[in-house]
Amino acid sequence: MPRYFFNVRHRPGPAGLSEDLEGDELADVNAAREHALSVARKMIARDRLTMIRDWMVCSFEIVDEEGRPVLTVPFSDTVLELEGWD
Amino acid sequence: MPNRAQHAIRQLFFPEAGFSSITTSGSGGKAEVGIIGREGLVGASPILLGSDRTPHEQFIQNAGEVLSVDTEALCAAVRQSASLHKLLLRSIQVQMIQTAQTAFANATYNLDVRLCRWLLMCQDRLDGDELHLTHEFLSLMLGSQRSSTTLAIQALEGHQLIKARRGRITILNREAMEAVADGSYGLPEAEYARLIEGA
Repeated sequence: MPRYFFNVRHRPGPAGLSEDLEGDELADVNAAREHALSVARKMIARDRLTMIRDWMVCSFEIVDEEGRPVLTVPFSDTVLELEGWD
Repeated sequence: MPNRAQHAIRQLFFPEAGFSSITTSGSGGKAEVGIIGREGLVGASPILLGSDRTPHEQFIQNAGEVLSVDTEALCAAVRQSASLHKLLLRSIQVQMIQTAQTAFANATYNLDVRLCRWLLMCQDRLDGDELHLTHEFLSLMLGSQRSSTTLAIQALEGHQLIKARRGRITILNREAMEAVADGSYGLPEAEYARLIEGA
């Protein structure tokens, strides 16, 4: 299975990108997106960091094992899913 | 070698090097609830408090020399020596204070502060400044997402408190880390000094 690395963009510029050096093995890009949303939900709900004021401005910049960009998943996408409710 | 959750404890361990992480888990995840290193005895709480087993898992970390004693031998020694019994009960009291402090820290402080606390507690139990562990593993201990742990590590690195390389964290400024850890660190350590070292 391919390994994807979930870098966190928390502010503009190179200092604002937190690199994931360990990664996760996931089936494909869709699985990577689902994983990103699932992790983002948990981070928003439970993880408090002094330097992150608002998780909603953060996003996952997902790269592959060669470091090539695969997908960007804004943390705010975790909220969009609720828009289907009436 | 570490005692498995819900299995009768046949041996207790004095870590001479490295330490044991006590963890508990449920459907929502897993987190570390205690650390026992050269200052303590792994398995003492359940055995000396009347239970032959514990529902908590024990992981050996930074493995090194460990001294073991059979449960029966320890119980016999405790029956024969009131002072040994008292010392071990005090050790359990210190462990309880630590567990309570973990609950307090988890409720009160941010992840970067809790990370500081954990790194300080590890360093207390090891020689030197280097800890060999992955962000994934640290996340398990702190009950956080790996990405959050990575952010916390990088925050501490940004303030020159630690240096983080793949699989390795080096503590650079212990004094500054104690300042960041603030009220989350120190109480169980003070109790240990009072009850065990000062005894």
